[in-house]
Amino acid sequence: MTNLSKRLISQDWFPLLLVTLVGALLLAIISNSFLSAYNLFVMLRILSVTSLVALSQMLVIAIGQMNLAVGAIGGLIAILFGGMLEVYGLPIGLAAAVGLLLGLAAGVLSGALVAYTRISGFIITLALLFVFTGLNLGITLSIPFYKMPQALKDLYDSYLGPIPSILFIPVLAAGAVSGLLYYTRPGRHMLAMGGNPAAAELAGISLSRTTIFTHTLSGGLAALAGMVAVARLGTAEPTIGADWLLPSFAAPVIGGAVLEGGYVSVTGTMIAVVIIVLITNGLLLARTDPFYVQFFLGALILATVLFNRWRSSVNVASPETTSGRP
Amino acid sequence: MSSVVEKEAAPARALRAARLLSMIQTANTGGLLFVILLLIATISAIAPSFLSPFNLFALTRNLASDAIIGFGMMVVLALGQMNLALGAIGVCAVMVTGYTLEQLGLPIPVAVLAALATGGLLGMLNGLLIVGTGINAFVITLATASLFTGLMLIVTKATTFHNLPPEFSALGYSRVGPISGFLVVTLFVCGALFLLFNFSVLGRQILATGANIVAAGLSGVPVNRVIIVAHALSGVLAGVAGVLVTAHLAAALPSIGEDWLLPSFLAPLLGGTLLAGGYVSVSGALLGAILVSVLQNGLVLFNVNGFRIQFFLGLALLAAVGLDRWRTVLVQRAEKRLT
Repeated sequence: MTNLSKRLISQDWFPLLLVTLVGALLLAIISNSFLSAYNLFVMLRILSVTSLVALSQMLVIAIGQMNLAVGAIGGLIAILFGGMLEVYGLPIGLAAAVGLLLGLAAGVLSGALVAYTRISGFIITLALLFVFTGLNLGITLSIPFYKMPQALKDLYDSYLGPIPSILFIPVLAAGAVSGLLYYTRPGRHMLAMGGNPAAAELAGISLSRTTIFTHTLSGGLAALAGMVAVARLGTAEPTIGADWLLPSFAAPVIGGAVLEGGYVSVTGTMIAVVIIVLITNGLLLARTDPFYVQFFLGALILATVLFNRWRSSVNVASPETTSGRP
Repeated sequence: MSSVVEKEAAPARALRAARLLSMIQTANTGGLLFVILLLIATISAIAPSFLSPFNLFALTRNLASDAIIGFGMMVVLALGQMNLALGAIGVCAVMVTGYTLEQLGLPIPVAVLAALATGGLLGMLNGLLIVGTGINAFVITLATASLFTGLMLIVTKATTFHNLPPEFSALGYSRVGPISGFLVVTLFVCGALFLLFNFSVLGRQILATGANIVAAGLSGVPVNRVIIVAHALSGVLAGVAGVLVTAHLAAALPSIGEDWLLPSFLAPLLGGTLLAGGYVSVSGALLGAILVSVLQNGLVLFNVNGFRIQFFLGLALLAAVGLDRWRTVLVQRAEKRLT
């Protein structure tokens, strides 16, 4: 027991977990509607999209790059998914499969451009952000697809026994991503490349292949996030993804990811997503202006990076405490 | 016999390679100018209204603010850093302008000074945070972007100031010949930055810090102060762009700045400024902004749907960085042939 609690406390994400629990407790005391089944469900709905967005960005951060096009890919796939359902009347499963494939293809494109031109991933994905957004708005002329099949909404709001189905989305995605990063060869290649690209290349890891692989997965997760957002909203809005940039970086960075690559924490990222959802929800329950959300999110990122910096400087000062990192 | 031919051929080849090298190195600015002239010729041949005084005025008015937005990013790119809060700082300056003019009723020069001071202070705050914490500028400015925007929205409650004094709004219609008077401001800023980066100690220090921060520090460059000053300068330029946009729209809107991300990177990167830091091209950034404005304007004249313009601008950025990469590869090959 003491061993377990010691291991828990030594985790990087332990302070985050404490913040989350204290925050949730405060919200439960302040507002009686916080723990209502309806409110929990509302939070779960936000969580289902934001967690996928965060994981999509986290993978690219792991190899020491960035994907500014996460929101643009998500938005483009969202409206294509909506179009396939409304205009062509495809079955949901088929449309989702095509959407996922297109998302993967968008990822292959950005990965290949980064790998073969050797231009900074930041610029490539910045350019693709506008290419994909332009395609999105060019197709929709900024008009949403409204007529989503009832089956999609039913599927989204369905229960598996007592558990809402949408709870499985973040759980499965986080499980798959941590399985990939910590237990498979490609995942270890990604972290090795992020930690030290030159050393990774000398060790026989193909940087181009790892880059393409990572961007492909990132594109796939962004596409999933876009389609889940369509199910959540009940319409395929062209604006889906437009405001994902901040949370996509906020969650991994708050979760302890090193922006230079080589270290990310799936658990930390997921806890950070919960914190973001709690803040959004708490401010909503407190009936404040929605503007406060943006302010507090910015303040939160600053506070956590400062805290992490302070903690690592304390750890450097006393090296025997650094052994806790898994 | 064959060895003689080789001996003669080798210097000739080296000479050719050297000529190619210098040609490629000067090709950037010249190439950009050539592309712009070609684009202007093509557009005005297809749509003669491109050269109409009305269109030239609108084009140069947009160009003026876009170029300054690009300069605002360029001064931190010189450090090898970024300022994602450029738009957020810009909108804070915009709202300060609107508030001082409409609510306080202060004269225009005071409002402009207040806007520039706001920009400078917020930029300095970014610099202080980056230097003080040693955290990546990307993360700091991403966080402060949402901090500044959030604070601005909380304070203003997302209201707009549109009862600005007519003399201020009239600035938006000022003309010098057929072009917008705003361009004078831009050319002035451009000249000042050119002097800064080519002939001043501070400019050299910014570039040295961007090229190699450790080496710069060891050679006695006050690295931390240089970073803070460059970010403050970036903030001031965001303030200048904010004032121009406010005068153009004759209103201080809280949504200004949201769409500054693309132009801020497009102009300097098209102009040959390195993302890694240590090298800037002020005239290149101006040409880059001109290219973007002409392209955007041409697409509008060709009745390309406004929604699709982003698509073409994204492609333009890809093409530009692709060409630039190709140029670097050619330079490297030429250098290899020389040695």
